[in-house]
Amino acid sequence: MADFIQLSINGLALGSVYALAAIGFVIVYSATGVVNFASGQFVMLGTFAGVAMLINGGLPWPVGYVGALAAMALFGALFFLVVYLPLRSSPVVTIIIGTVAVGIALQNAAQLTFGSWPFRLQSPFEGMTIEIAGAVITVHAVAVVVGTGILIGLLWLLLHRTTIGIGMRAVAQDVKAARLMGLRVNGLLAFSWVLAALLAGIAGLMLGPMWFADVNMGDPIALKAFAATIIGGFGSLPGAIAGGLFVGLTEVLGASYLSSAYKDLIAFGAMIAFLLVRPQGIFGERIQDRG
Amino acid sequence: MKLTKRDILKFTVAVSVLTAVPAIAQNGPIVIGATVPTTGPLSLTGKQYFNSLKMAEEDINRAGGINGRQIKIVFEDTQASNSTAVNAFVKLVQEEKPAFVFLSSYSTQNIAVAPEVKKSGIPVMYAGGADAVSDAGNEWMFRIRPADSLAAAGMVQFAKGNLKATKPGILYIQNDFGQGGAQVAAKQFEAAGSPVVGMEAYGQNDKDFSAQMLSLRQKGADTILAFVYPQDGAMLLRQAKMLGLKMPIVASSAAFVPAALQLLSPSDLDNVSGVVDAFVDTSAGERMKDFIDRYKEKFSMEADPYGLAYYDGAMLMAEGMRKAGTDPKALRDWLATVKDWPGIGHAYTFDAKGNGVSDLAVVRAKPGTKSLELVQPIKLN
Repeated sequence: MADFIQLSINGLALGSVYALAAIGFVIVYSATGVVNFASGQFVMLGTFAGVAMLINGGLPWPVGYVGALAAMALFGALFFLVVYLPLRSSPVVTIIIGTVAVGIALQNAAQLTFGSWPFRLQSPFEGMTIEIAGAVITVHAVAVVVGTGILIGLLWLLLHRTTIGIGMRAVAQDVKAARLMGLRVNGLLAFSWVLAALLAGIAGLMLGPMWFADVNMGDPIALKAFAATIIGGFGSLPGAIAGGLFVGLTEVLGASYLSSAYKDLIAFGAMIAFLLVRPQGIFGERIQDRG
Repeated sequence: MKLTKRDILKFTVAVSVLTAVPAIAQNGPIVIGATVPTTGPLSLTGKQYFNSLKMAEEDINRAGGINGRQIKIVFEDTQASNSTAVNAFVKLVQEEKPAFVFLSSYSTQNIAVAPEVKKSGIPVMYAGGADAVSDAGNEWMFRIRPADSLAAAGMVQFAKGNLKATKPGILYIQNDFGQGGAQVAAKQFEAAGSPVVGMEAYGQNDKDFSAQMLSLRQKGADTILAFVYPQDGAMLLRQAKMLGLKMPIVASSAAFVPAALQLLSPSDLDNVSGVVDAFVDTSAGERMKDFIDRYKEKFSMEADPYGLAYYDGAMLMAEGMRKAGTDPKALRDWLATVKDWPGIGHAYTFDAKGNGVSDLAVVRAKPGTKSLELVQPIKLN
């Protein structure tokens, strides 16, 4: 039982990070129709924003975290201006290729800047553990799960209870109609990119102490976040959360109770099964003209 | 046709240019190829090979080159891909016509490139550990690191002999290196009368090993053998402490390279031993100290045993060229007869399969620190 609790918390913590990356993915997809292949690199950039502030800059963690997130928000806005806006009227596939190119450029830029050696980013809860029924759990893992829960709540409030959020959902449903209603579509689209970058930044800061900060960490995250969105339902926020947690838990529990050698097969097998049997995922997609 | 003075002059110039070009080429530098990962996920280790080979190139040239001729190492990036590694090798061979080539330290890349090496008829040195590379019997390929089976045998010998393991568990990275090593270790434990209680694998990109380690603990493992790469090795050792595992861990060499050690705190290394290629420490002799000091001064990073293998390899190649010349066949034949050549990391003797190293070192961190000490050297057949 102790092992089960231990594994479940680890799985949930990992799943939370996947969920955040997947939400960033979904927000951009819903608002702009673009599958952002650089989303894994967004998370990597979030971790390295933390490295720059906390390790290179030597800032205390509250200031460092705020600084890193501010840098990520700025990056999201820049991405909108430099990549999305100029390509906006091109076919979607062009923008997608643009995101792939930017992803590669980001990874290599990070390698040139920070080098190929990984960093150990300290957690504010470094070395702190709690014991529940014989299971030793790091406070950081619990903080990641709780923090993600709070963030998801805030995100729900933003999307359903604020003018900006409702506007974003309107743009997601129909850009032309939203424009005719007098919404500032460009501003809302830019905000979607900023929000996605911020969420990726938070995921990156949470991940840093769990993994090492490594310029190549983006790809595995992107793959898992992609699997999470497909399992949860492409374009669905609750789907991204459920999918992320499912992939995280499958990875850890599957490795323990089924086979560690085939644990990725379990997660990706589930993704393929969903594609075959229920391509709309657990929560389906409300907008039917995409996909 | 009447020849004018002008024509004769033209002819003379042409002839002298044509005859001079090969002479210039003959006196130009000897080109050596090196295909190592300088970008992508494997660049963490590739940087060491790049640096070590650069240092060797300088040292060889400063010492007068190869009988008066300088050498020039031309690098191509293999990234983390077999096809890129093959393309890099083919490009080097076609464009640079090198007299000798260094391949990467990744067995899958070595295996992928092997047919091209045979076709090119150029001797190469490689540092991938998988036995499959040498078992293929490519006479142009020479290994400058211990084979994985040798390292695995060394780990088993230490776990049985020194740690008195009776219920060993194995944790391994799921690739040629990890699987191969784990299988050899399991067989040897079985033969020694203490079969493994569990074998757990993880993927190269995995970041959470709690399931595998808890499973081994549940099965009652009293010692864990870990076949790892640098970064996952560091993470694995760290998570073992977070999970409160108390049994000793014997890790493969990558967990003890500087790139991995800088990610760990001293407490992560409690009760952990490493079976490494060579004990790269300033206390290990004058030549070793000189290499480590100069490397650090030049590249602002610590030297590691993998990089050292390439440095030794380059020095051995240079000696071969001085003695046997740069003819590929003659150089290959000379290398095949090398016996007890005194490198910095090892005494190199190539066997029939091209394996040059047969010794290892067991190290551990001094209590409360991250500085390593030699526990014992291991010599195997």
